[in-house]
Amino acid sequence: MRGSIDARPPYGLAVWAAVSIILSLMIYASPGRLAQGGSLMPMLPLITIFIWSSIRPRFMPPFVIFIVGLMQDLITGGPMGVWALAYVVALMIMRVREEDGAKREIGPIWFRFVGVVAIATFIAWCAGSLATGGPAAIRPMLVEAAATVLMFPLIGLLTIRKRSSRSGFGI
Amino acid sequence: MVFRSPSRRDQDDGVRFSRTLTATLIIISILLIIFDRPDVRPPALSAVRSTVVDVVAPLLDLAARPLRAMGNIGPYWRRQSELAQENAALRDQLNDTLYWRDLALRLRDQIEIYEQTLDLDVTASQERVGAWTLADPTGPFVQSRIIGAGAERGIRDGDPVLNVFGLVGRVVETGRRSSRVLLLTDLNSRVPVIADRTNARAILIGNNTNFPRLDYVGRDADLRDGDRIVTSGDDGVLPRGLPIGVAALDRDGQWRVRLFSDQAPVDFVWVFPHVRVLPPEADPVIENEMEPPTGDETGTATDESIEPALTNSADDTASTTQGDTP
Repeated sequence: MRGSIDARPPYGLAVWAAVSIILSLMIYASPGRLAQGGSLMPMLPLITIFIWSSIRPRFMPPFVIFIVGLMQDLITGGPMGVWALAYVVALMIMRVREEDGAKREIGPIWFRFVGVVAIATFIAWCAGSLATGGPAAIRPMLVEAAATVLMFPLIGLLTIRKRSSRSGFGI
Repeated sequence: MVFRSPSRRDQDDGVRFSRTLTATLIIISILLIIFDRPDVRPPALSAVRSTVVDVVAPLLDLAARPLRAMGNIGPYWRRQSELAQENAALRDQLNDTLYWRDLALRLRDQIEIYEQTLDLDVTASQERVGAWTLADPTGPFVQSRIIGAGAERGIRDGDPVLNVFGLVGRVVETGRRSSRVLLLTDLNSRVPVIADRTNARAILIGNNTNFPRLDYVGRDADLRDGDRIVTSGDDGVLPRGLPIGVAALDRDGQWRVRLFSDQAPVDFVWVFPHVRVLPPEADPVIENEMEPPTGDETGTATDESIEPALTNSADDTASTTQGDTP
């Protein structure tokens, strides 16, 4: 994980991207209440696809984002298309338009991520309200969005390569 | 995933994707939202949903196992110092329970005698299917769980799901090896209930909070704080008498229910395959039965006039029965 990103074969990283997305969906759906804890769960799939679309944009074409959103809809039991639409639109608006494998600063990426979460939450709320035939509960969505924003730096610091150092953590 | 070598344009402007593809995906998403609403969902989409959940169920089970183990470790670790005290309390409870066990056994024998006397067939309602919760996604639109048992084990849509304390919800999507349970707290959940003490009727309506509300309570209904609420069975979907919770009046004067099932995490559940009570079918109308018999002037019917009428009514009954058979 510490080597230069350009020297790595892209297919290996693609497998790693696929595994991390599947893991994020599994953890997101896992029965958190079983561990005697709260049910607070950040949108891990969104964090994962945003990080990959920031560091390796080519790995996250729109149809991959669409499929991740669709899987989240299916696993949560909500109407299909809600999170798929939210993720595709939010990530297409706020996508990092730089070359593949470039190093990033975590600060600007985090601010961009806040935008992604805000847009995704707003679209999901509108689409969910349309699908369920009434205004969806806004509070759990805001709590989930806040948890997602706060969780991002923890994961981002471990995965996003800093611009100042080529040998730091991250891919 | 398709890779291509970075072009000069990529290096200058970053990676770009087809706008047509993005627009198409957005349109597909919108169409799915419109056609996958719970009230208009076509059977094909329901089948897709249950199939996908069936496929991912083993992965979800894999992810849930460590959490189940942590759930067992957590309370034990936290309550080390209280274990002895808890043990003594449990012994006392066990002693009390022995009396109730004897009573239950006696009542069971009595009920069996009554069932035999009335010739009741209740074998189907006695069975239950145990299942682990595989996924507990915290989606803001639907409050549901995925459990690891499906149609292969006799579960069908509408079957009630209980944990050790009370009713959790009912099955709404059944795959082969997994099912989705709609919780009582979900916005779409409607369950007819009664208060155990007074038989006061109401509808339990989920509102995405931990305390679903009681609606359609009669104006003079005798309902008190702490009344035990159970299913009424009025809808013919859930059986009567399943424990739900206790009634509680909130600050706004609205009746709510504190759910029994919230006393423990919904990890292991039982599904009770339930034989629904169908409305009685109307007796077949026999037209010829009302016709006056043709006989002699004195009004006494001859054997020849009665015979065709009986034959016709028998035919009508046979044809009605055949028509009802799928």
